[in-house]
Amino acid sequence: MSVHRSRYTFEGLPIGDVESGTNVLVTGPALGGIRELTLRMLLQSSEREGTLFVTADTAGRETLENYEALGGRLDFARVGVIDCTEEGVDDETHNVHAVGSPADLTGIGIEFSSLYERLHANGAERVRTGVYTLSPFVVYAPTKAVFRFVHTLTGRIRTADGLGVCAIDPGTVDDQTLSSIAQAFDGQVELQEQAGDCAVRVRGLSNQPEGWQSVDLDV
Amino acid sequence: MTGLTVLCVDPDDGERRKTVAALTNGDDVTVLEHDTLAAAEAALTDAAPDCVVTEYELPDGTGLDLTARLREHAPDTPCILFTNADPDRIRTAQHGEVVVEYLPKDMPGARESLVRLVGNVVTQRTQVGYPLPPEEDERLAALEQYDRPGMDAVSAFDRLTALTKSHFGVDVAFVGLVDAHEERFLSCAGADWETLEREDTMCTHTILQDDLMVVEDTHEDGRFADSDRLDELDIRAYAGVPLETPRGTAIGAYCMTNSEPRSFSDAERADLRLFADEAMEQLELRRQLNECEGDTERRPGPDPDAAAPDGSESP
Repeated sequence: MSVHRSRYTFEGLPIGDVESGTNVLVTGPALGGIRELTLRMLLQSSEREGTLFVTADTAGRETLENYEALGGRLDFARVGVIDCTEEGVDDETHNVHAVGSPADLTGIGIEFSSLYERLHANGAERVRTGVYTLSPFVVYAPTKAVFRFVHTLTGRIRTADGLGVCAIDPGTVDDQTLSSIAQAFDGQVELQEQAGDCAVRVRGLSNQPEGWQSVDLDV
Repeated sequence: MTGLTVLCVDPDDGERRKTVAALTNGDDVTVLEHDTLAAAEAALTDAAPDCVVTEYELPDGTGLDLTARLREHAPDTPCILFTNADPDRIRTAQHGEVVVEYLPKDMPGARESLVRLVGNVVTQRTQVGYPLPPEEDERLAALEQYDRPGMDAVSAFDRLTALTKSHFGVDVAFVGLVDAHEERFLSCAGADWETLEREDTMCTHTILQDDLMVVEDTHEDGRFADSDRLDELDIRAYAGVPLETPRGTAIGAYCMTNSEPRSFSDAERADLRLFADEAMEQLELRRQLNECEGDTERRPGPDPDAAAPDGSESP
């Protein structure tokens, strides 16, 4: 296997490639382009990749539509969604699995492990996992359970040579909680938006651009 | 994966035997086998397993009932649902907070995957309910140097914590070491705490800080606002300084707590750092003393055969 194939790349974004098994926390305001940034980080760079979404802020079908609009490939053998919204419903055709509540972290974790294994079994050698966003879990579930869930998720991704991209709006949690949650991740991608201009900064990951980098997002 | 004790719970004798065989194959792993929830619950307290592997459907309950009991008794211990049950059949609503790993028995190479997963969840501590320092293994190794039998510093720490309590006018002052699963209190003025599950401690957050951590009101801090245990202990305000080794590894914290919310002035924070420095110096001196005594014990005594018959030293 070449060095290139053992890393994840982010085409069109000012973010350097990262090693397999990396978990990244993406922080930024909900209305400032963080959703598009997260989805673009989940765009597959090869047909051997799969994508798994854990959605708590938006419905599963809507997430898939947004992903496709950004160029995402919807091969439902290798793409699936855990829908954690209270209105979520199972949708076998689109590989959407509803849990029913962002507070049911046990149910979400079980669905996640099950879907991850199925994507692998269907030929996805590596899986990009996106969580959009962690905020409802922090709001609705006890803090200890959130840590347990985040450790379980990132641990599974790390050992399976996957990529984890978890978004959180800093406006929804206090600084101390955010700082504690960030401990479970290898690095952070910060997004800021001012008057429609967006910029990202990568922290904690090697071989990344220095400082704030302009990025074109639809806000 | 050596030296582990795994609790394996499965009502199907044949399936359980295959799982046990896989877990013990070539590794120094002890497996405790049970086929009911009641027997497994008893084993949690009797044997303190490092990991639990359980089928979901048990004759007298479910694997999630067992996990809920596990979280009460040994909250850091990882649990894996190794099961024939499809996710849709698993009722999680009553146990949404316990969080487990899930592995279907019918996937190809399931038991090989299980063995790897057991190793991963134990070594990576993936089911702990608190943030982990990035170099946790190194931190625990450093802690071991300061936490050995015979390093009795209790009286010195008792004087220090009593002084701290009266100096600041707080309810409790303590020195705590944060080990793999618990915080153990070397001295505690104002309360009789001996140990606390790590997920219930504030110091497990303090050891992640570069400097002291202050929480003026636990009910206003998202990390602690939903902690019943802190309320039970009457902790509403907290200030703690990480106890760092000369190499900068935090092994515990020097702290004070109050039953009412309160702030801590800059002068008070500076004083607390001084108390913490004193406590760490005591720990470091005792570590060095222990090391010297260990060297002396290991050094071979004078060899009686080396002395000349007239008592003079051999050349």
